[in-house]
Amino acid sequence: MMTLSAVMDRLVPPIDDLPGAGTMGLAPEVESLARRHAPYQRALATFIEKLAPKWSADLPASQQDALLRDLEAADGAAFTAVLELVYLAYYGDPRVHRRVGWRGGALQPEGFPLAPFDPEILQTTRQRKPFWRQA
Amino acid sequence: MTHDRADILIIGAGASGAAVAWRLSDAGLRIVCLEQGRWHKPGEYSTSFPDWEFRGATSFSFNPNVRALPEDYPVDDTASDVTPLMFNAVGGSTVHWTAHAPRFHPSDFRVRSQDGVADDWPLSYVDLEAYYDLNDQWMGCSGTAGDPANPPRAPRPMPSLPLGPDGERLARGFDSLGWHWWPSDSYINSVPYRGREACNNCGPNGLGCTVQAKASTDVTYWPAAIANGVELRTGARVFEVTTDSSGRATGARYFDAAGTVQSQPARLVVLAANGIGTPRLLLLSTSERHPNGLANSSGLVGRNLMFHPCAAITGFFDDGSDPTWRGPLGNILLSQEFYETDSTRGFVRGYTFQMNRSTGPARTALGFAMAPVAWGERHHADFAMRFGNSTTVIALGEDLPEEHNRVELSASLTDSNGIAAPKVSYRLSKNSARMMAHACRQAEKVLNAAGAHTVKATPQLRPSGWHLMGTARMGDDPRRSVVDHSGRAHDVDNLYVVDGSVFVTGASVNPTPTLQAIALRAADHIRKAQHP
Repeated sequence: MMTLSAVMDRLVPPIDDLPGAGTMGLAPEVESLARRHAPYQRALATFIEKLAPKWSADLPASQQDALLRDLEAADGAAFTAVLELVYLAYYGDPRVHRRVGWRGGALQPEGFPLAPFDPEILQTTRQRKPFWRQA
Repeated sequence: MTHDRADILIIGAGASGAAVAWRLSDAGLRIVCLEQGRWHKPGEYSTSFPDWEFRGATSFSFNPNVRALPEDYPVDDTASDVTPLMFNAVGGSTVHWTAHAPRFHPSDFRVRSQDGVADDWPLSYVDLEAYYDLNDQWMGCSGTAGDPANPPRAPRPMPSLPLGPDGERLARGFDSLGWHWWPSDSYINSVPYRGREACNNCGPNGLGCTVQAKASTDVTYWPAAIANGVELRTGARVFEVTTDSSGRATGARYFDAAGTVQSQPARLVVLAANGIGTPRLLLLSTSERHPNGLANSSGLVGRNLMFHPCAAITGFFDDGSDPTWRGPLGNILLSQEFYETDSTRGFVRGYTFQMNRSTGPARTALGFAMAPVAWGERHHADFAMRFGNSTTVIALGEDLPEEHNRVELSASLTDSNGIAAPKVSYRLSKNSARMMAHACRQAEKVLNAAGAHTVKATPQLRPSGWHLMGTARMGDDPRRSVVDHSGRAHDVDNLYVVDGSVFVTGASVNPTPTLQAIALRAADHIRKAQHP
């Protein structure tokens, strides 16, 4: 029997102290995101329908990956859409944010600090004579 | 329902519709604008929410076919090498743009005379210069005077945006090769300006600007136009410009938000519905006097579609610098080293390099300038190489007008009101392909000079159809153009087009300041015609 969690573990495997995306418990988040955007929901249904009959938890990981590669080649649109869902769920998770050094949350209103523009850096390019073409 | 007659009816409330509405708003005329989209409150923009990356990929996508909101119309792009992108709202695609504000060069208006290809424009840089300056003031331009690649011009009202450590690194790369670069002119506030805040460097300026530091016409021209009495009617999807028995425009018919057909009579009609929406509407507006579509005696409505070929070349760095997702995604610096024709390069015309930053973790994984991050065992290494460690050089090239690149009406696809959707046919020319190949090689040099350990190129970025140009071109000869130098249709003397449709050629810069300058100039011509 195939579970979305098992597939997600193959797509985004463990690293450091984080398990794979499925074992992290993100399958419900993937399904929730899919419900918010109809093309994603259709792609997820197609993905499961095509993969489930061939998938077995007893298969070696290399054969599971081969099934995923076959599906990617046969139905790239559905595969890519599901990959996007998995990435959106995984990289929207605070545990992942902590690991990769991302602040998380809304970007506004905080933003990020940057030093003001310093015209000194133009010193070299300012020496160039005007070269725009007259018309 | 038939409304009271307007003096001026503008169709489309985006970059050019807003500019023409404001410019005419003190002329004592009754002006109505019909817009199929709605107002967006800045607090609704994606970046105000923790799931901003999901929203940016779905309900706030650049692609109307992905967004599929009620106010969007589908675009059949199955026969196109480039995916058309747009936003339907008050402010139009300026809500969604990155707000690059470069100008055409004087030579861009004389392509036939100088390089023997395409056609010259019926106006010049000098004709538009004052309007460029005016638009810079109203939209709010951050920039620095003295660029040797462009003619001298009026000072920008604000200093340049910060380059950031990543921008400075790339600038040094250009310097080391002796190549031109300059901080980008940008319609993003570097300091508070006209009641709008300064940019706080949140990053994805293509997703709307919560603090209104980025100019979009819903926060620049529209408040002033409305204060002067212009009526802006939203949720109004126009499906026909109506005409009388002599062939002159009499107004427009549209579906309101409830799906009821309404009629808006007018003495003069201005189309500002973008380079796909405008030809669609002209082709829909057939009549006995205009059997092939309105203003289409030349047969050129919808033809000569230009997008700008676009390559994305990404460099990866491991020098321990600050992460490259701080600061506006675009609008950092540009290079016009390869802007003009050089016969030794194997192609005519040229391209501009623009620097783009990286972005948040999910959008990094989804990819844009490159394929999505690899899945499986290579996933984490691939992600780590990109996230906060990559800088992309975008090459924006000039594609020449070709009649087979066009907008037609779809025979099978319709919008939610049953109106025929546009069908886009576009193939990248051999000249453009050679140009982008050259750009990839040069970009690799500059990224290596900046210290990249690896460089990867996408020679033709498919989702790059931000710039919609050429489909109702201007010219002096009615057999070879749709409108004259002022935007007035050759066939219909009370019909104007003021969006990117009128472009004769596309140059190799972002088109919005130019199409807004054209709209402001057209407004002055209209004013004179109304009050001779």
